[in-house]
Amino acid sequence: MADFLFELGIEEVPASEIKNIVFQLKDNFQTKLAETLVKFKSIEISATNRRFIIYISEISEKADDKEEQILGPSKKISIDENGQPTIALKKFMEFNNVILSDIVEIETKKGLYLCIHKVTEGPKAYDILCNIIPEILGKLTFSKTMLWNESRVPFIRPIRNILCLLNNQLIELEFAGIKSSKFINGHTTLSESLIEISSFKNYIEQLNKNFVIVKEKERDEKIINEITEVEYDLDVDVKIDDEMLNYYIYNNEYPVVFTGNFNKKYLELPSEIISTFMIKEKKLLPVYDKNNNLLNTFVGVSNIPDENHFVSNGNEKVIQATFEDAKFFWDNDLKDNFINLRENLKKVKFQNDLGTFFDKTERLNYLIELLVKETNNNHMYENIKQASCLCKNDLVTRMVREFPSLQGIMGGLYLKEMDSEEDLWKSVYGHYEPKGFTDKKLDHIGAGILSIADKIDNIAGFVSKGIKVSSSKDPYGIRRDTNAIIKVIIDFKMNFDLYKLIKLAAEKFTENEGDQKKLVSQLQKLFLSRIENIFRDLLNFRYDVVNSIINSHDILFAYKSFLKAKDVSKIVETDSINLLITLHKRLKNIIKGFNTFFISEDLLMGDEEKILFEIYKESKTEITELILSDNYIQACSKIIEMKPVIDNYFEKVLIMAEDNKIKENRIALLQKLDELLSKITDFSLIIESN
Amino acid sequence: MSLQNIIIKLQEFWSQNGCYIASGYDTEVGAGTMTPDTFFKVLRKKHWEVAFWQPSRRPDDGRYAKNPNRVQKHNQFQVILKPAPDNGQSLFLKSLNHLGIDIRSHDIKFDEDNWASPSIGAWGVGWQVMCDGLEITQFTYFQQAGGIELNPNSLEITYGLERLAMFLDKRNNIYNLKWGHNVSYSELRTEEEKQFSIYNFEVANIDFLRNIFDQYKNEAERLIESNLYLPAYDYVLKCSHTFNILDARKAISTAERTTLIKTMRDLSHNIAKKYINGAEKKNG
Repeated sequence: MADFLFELGIEEVPASEIKNIVFQLKDNFQTKLAETLVKFKSIEISATNRRFIIYISEISEKADDKEEQILGPSKKISIDENGQPTIALKKFMEFNNVILSDIVEIETKKGLYLCIHKVTEGPKAYDILCNIIPEILGKLTFSKTMLWNESRVPFIRPIRNILCLLNNQLIELEFAGIKSSKFINGHTTLSESLIEISSFKNYIEQLNKNFVIVKEKERDEKIINEITEVEYDLDVDVKIDDEMLNYYIYNNEYPVVFTGNFNKKYLELPSEIISTFMIKEKKLLPVYDKNNNLLNTFVGVSNIPDENHFVSNGNEKVIQATFEDAKFFWDNDLKDNFINLRENLKKVKFQNDLGTFFDKTERLNYLIELLVKETNNNHMYENIKQASCLCKNDLVTRMVREFPSLQGIMGGLYLKEMDSEEDLWKSVYGHYEPKGFTDKKLDHIGAGILSIADKIDNIAGFVSKGIKVSSSKDPYGIRRDTNAIIKVIIDFKMNFDLYKLIKLAAEKFTENEGDQKKLVSQLQKLFLSRIENIFRDLLNFRYDVVNSIINSHDILFAYKSFLKAKDVSKIVETDSINLLITLHKRLKNIIKGFNTFFISEDLLMGDEEKILFEIYKESKTEITELILSDNYIQACSKIIEMKPVIDNYFEKVLIMAEDNKIKENRIALLQKLDELLSKITDFSLIIESN
Repeated sequence: MSLQNIIIKLQEFWSQNGCYIASGYDTEVGAGTMTPDTFFKVLRKKHWEVAFWQPSRRPDDGRYAKNPNRVQKHNQFQVILKPAPDNGQSLFLKSLNHLGIDIRSHDIKFDEDNWASPSIGAWGVGWQVMCDGLEITQFTYFQQAGGIELNPNSLEITYGLERLAMFLDKRNNIYNLKWGHNVSYSELRTEEEKQFSIYNFEVANIDFLRNIFDQYKNEAERLIESNLYLPAYDYVLKCSHTFNILDARKAISTAERTTLIKTMRDLSHNIAKKYINGAEKKNG
């Protein structure tokens, strides 16, 4: 058994690309080793921005032998009447270089045949690795590649060394003009010359000595621990998201957390601006006190120990200059009349073929009427209407041109600065949020309404242009936007039919009724599949519960559907669920295939039938009211109360009566019962519990 | 260290490392990349090592002399190494050492920043080099110029001289820098920054600028026709500077921006093709 160590030394790879490369390397190595029959115990991959490391333990020194059966001619034509081999057999033996004693008989579907078992010796792991490594490296894909040397091999960044040791012996290979060697580079500035590596143990030791922490997890913990220490020491909160943490982990081989301060006068700028400039421009983290007020302190991560505070002092100077820029943009944008900027939107394209942003605001203006009315927010109508006209104005401000991530936020802040009403500026401020289902809740319903309008307009526009969502690709964020709409609806308990909104949005992107119908149906399908997905995968409702809700009435009342799913999930945990399932299945079985009939009281025969009808009429009103007030659990209890009467009916009455009119009347009664149950959900699709 | 000493030190270092020390170009450029010593020379097969100091104009970066490190005219030190050497990164770090920066006690990072200049059809892959959070250099492997894929690839190192000086001289404000013996940056530049900021943002005559943009463009086209690609390129540079002032003046809409950039890119592309044909005929 041997071990295998590989390092691809490379000039600084963008942090955002590294995980993807690690994934590909691991996947490709495993596949290739399996294909070539090389056994090993474990494979570990780690990475920094300057090296990708693969370590395989207990790798076999040669691949497994390959056994195969080679089928020859049938026995009949191989042996002549004297028991001697025929020409056919001789040729077969000659071709495969075997003698008669190697030949065995085999029973096949076509009769008795002759064959040989051939064993090919597995090649050496050395040779296999020699071949597969350049192949694996050549097959890596990146979001952007470059050329840098005579080899003209495109790669993400220039490769500077390839370390490749099998059992501590160099495997000689070449990729992109770089020959493998036993030498690696250390830390960019803290280690000087090339370092010679003799074994995996030696590799780890050398890197440790040369300020490279190999494992992502160790760098991650070091950063988090040091940040926590700062929080504790200064009694503050440091805000760090996954993207920044990932950036720090992969952009530093020897991460060290440092802090610094800046002049308090910059805190006069809106905190959103300050934190954006810190994060996006300078990769520094904003710091807040325990009441969530921004402080004049920052946290950053250096790639060297900062014993002399050079790094901290340097960053302190730089951040002030950055805030000066922020102040310049802010002051300059405020010189313009924000309201008038809407005219400029006529020159800004929204998306190819989907008009300008001015056109978009007109559409939003149209959509919010329905939304305000349907969600009973008429008191905010004027403000939300104005917000829908002004919400894209900030796209032509200097601040947003420089920092697109501030879109919406800046519009809100500029309006606030003009003493606009809260309902107006807050609607604009938050309307790009949420960015998906798992984002946090918006804090203003006006922003929620505008967010829904903005997103349904995106979705309808893109889908009308034939843009599709696949499981892996969603370049226009259609899925994300759909999820966000459902999120806002549930968060703000909005009780309206998405169908109406879909129809209205589709109107603006289609020219004739046929196209409109097609688009509406595509959008309905999209929302249905997103609701199903969210309920099942994000809210963790049981799949059969989700299935039954999706197939019941009024699913596009997304908030109602959510409440139903919640209640039905509770009911499936009780004993009564089986009663409901059996009942609903029985009803559906009987009425299957019939047209819808009307009940005529005159045709009701016998007590069982009359009593059932009376009870149905009574319960119907009650149950419908319970459903209207989203009280599904009680609605179910009411149905269960009817159950003995229904059972009795099934027992005593023959539904398929000889008289056709009576039969149809009985079917009609059962149809009514099915309709009542289906208003809650399709119980027949739920799996019975044991 | 004064700005002029930094220039001298860099010239010294790169001259010792085989570069020809050129003069900066005498037409307004947005960056050293746009100079003929870069744009044309990276297109050839022949090796090319050059270093020069290049004042660069970015009208939109003007701050009326009020921002501590942003100005509408700054100074770059441009190095082109072709073919890109294997040890470019360590050469660069050595040049910082040569300037007296102790690279072991400062946080020097190569941070992703893929540079592109669409108006001359040029782009590269590389980094901005940060020193304790301050961007001091752009380090780029040149991929295309004039819309033509480069072979061999050049390494371009562009130092921001004011940034380096602020770092070396421990200054918080660009206007506190020393240029040379008893000459301060403030004395040389403050009035210029004020006047050009006013001009670029408030006073520049939009109609006039649009008009000369078109005329420069026509002249460039005419010269390309006559195979005079070198003067033609000067007019592309003039177009580009005119465009930058219009942009600072907020006179260009998004759609128009695309069109104007395409105009310049097409001109550059045609010039690059002419240059390659000419250069190949002569000596490859």
